[in-house]
Amino acid sequence: MTALAAPISRIAPDTLRSAWRVFWYGGRMSYGMLFNWARPSIYIPTLIGGPTFQLFFFAALGSYATDRSAAYFAIGNAVQVSALAGVFGMTMAIANERWFGTLPALLATPANRVALFAGRFMPFVLHGLLVSLYAFGLGVVFLGVRLAPGSLAVAGMALLVTVFSCTAIGALQGAVSLRLRDGLFGANLVTMSILLFCGVNIPLDELPGWMQVVGNLLPFTHGLEAVRQAAAGAGLDEVGGLIAIEVVVGIAYAVLAFALFSYLERSARRNATLDIR
Amino acid sequence: MSAEGTLRLIWFVTWFNVRMLLASEFFILLTFISPLIFATLAFFLFRSGGGTAGQTLLYVALGAGMMGVWSTTLFGCGGAIAWQRWEGTLELLVNAPTRYDFILVGQTFGAVVFGFYGIVATLAWGVVLFGMPLQATYPLILPLSLLAAIVSLGSLGMLIATTFVLYRHANALGNLLEYPIWLIAGLLVPVATLPFWVQPISWLLAPTWGMEAIRGAAIGAEPPILAIAMCFALAVVYYVAARVTLVFVLAKARRDATLSLQ
Repeated sequence: MTALAAPISRIAPDTLRSAWRVFWYGGRMSYGMLFNWARPSIYIPTLIGGPTFQLFFFAALGSYATDRSAAYFAIGNAVQVSALAGVFGMTMAIANERWFGTLPALLATPANRVALFAGRFMPFVLHGLLVSLYAFGLGVVFLGVRLAPGSLAVAGMALLVTVFSCTAIGALQGAVSLRLRDGLFGANLVTMSILLFCGVNIPLDELPGWMQVVGNLLPFTHGLEAVRQAAAGAGLDEVGGLIAIEVVVGIAYAVLAFALFSYLERSARRNATLDIR
Repeated sequence: MSAEGTLRLIWFVTWFNVRMLLASEFFILLTFISPLIFATLAFFLFRSGGGTAGQTLLYVALGAGMMGVWSTTLFGCGGAIAWQRWEGTLELLVNAPTRYDFILVGQTFGAVVFGFYGIVATLAWGVVLFGMPLQATYPLILPLSLLAAIVSLGSLGMLIATTFVLYRHANALGNLLEYPIWLIAGLLVPVATLPFWVQPISWLLAPTWGMEAIRGAAIGAEPPILAIAMCFALAVVYYVAARVTLVFVLAKARRDATLSLQ
């Protein structure tokens, strides 16, 4: 027989320590839960196989249809594949709470919502970055991608910022999925829109005006351009502006996502629709 | 079961499956929206490369449409048996007095027929937005080409359904196989431009010949007789392979009592 040696210590929910625990342990557990689907038998086909073939498909299509090199398409798609982790992962991180029935318990707690949200956010930024780096590796080995050694750090920074803003739009989609029956519908739509509007395969200035406006409002566009220029040797003084815009876009989406999440939480409590799909 | 009864069963299941897919947001995206996005992307790419001739646009529209057909076939058929498991209808269907493979034929044809809407959508999209001329070099052969493509993709879908069930996460396989078949089957990039070792693989795939049959009838210089014949020949091979796999899978599931286990 065992007895408790000491009384359970409680941390007041409104303290910084509590917020940190929600951020760190909550985020870690949520990410670990996602490995329910992201185990090797799912992870490898989806996040390794899928990006690999996407890269080769667009490199082949692009270099056949246009006079641009395969490397141009490889860079665009190597950045875009981070959306698989950022958009789908983040959407599922929120939607799965609802799907598995843990959302009411989670939202019944007085946990700090910013910490709760941010804790679920960060692992996907790192995950998206890993997928993107893998795709860049493929591009370097097979598709002639060359990165200027002098601006590798700048390219890396641009990539990190782009993945962050991509995860932010994933968070927005995750918040939307609190209301929708199928959150993955929107996640698919977002990733396809990124392919079309953000200069991944078609330079922005070759698109009609209204598509350029949409592209400028979406994440990826400025970050990807910064990655392209940095890969060609541009320094921070040349692409700093693009990176800054991408940061602003990413933060705007993250704030919008949090605001929508909070609004839909309140709305669901008021109408008792948290569990209704 | 009489031939009439069999046909009625297949027709009923096909129609039932089309209606079920219409209620799925994911398949609406896959069939109604995704081909239009990829068609637009391909139109801009070819335009960027100077390929604005009417035949190029038609080539692109048909290819993008077939990409949607393949996606719907892949996801619609890949998860066919798994969905029956989740919904708890698999045991009932397997133990029904009708042959289970006929039910599966209806289900896979439902997905393929549903997917063929993608071709109609991309053609309309090309005509309205890009001024693509709608023409067919061999208009009388075109219906036969479409039929051949549907039959061969339907049979391939059945093979996919029976083999994917052996892998627990069929949707993950779907994610893996979407882009490579788009590429290898020459839907937007001619097979001849791919490495030589890829080409024999493309000859074994229904989308390659289905695309060849439809494109041949629409913009080809010669009637696509070989492609149509290959579609039907491959359909027979796929069906036999799917039937053998199905018998094996069902026997194993009955022996191990795992029919309803995921």
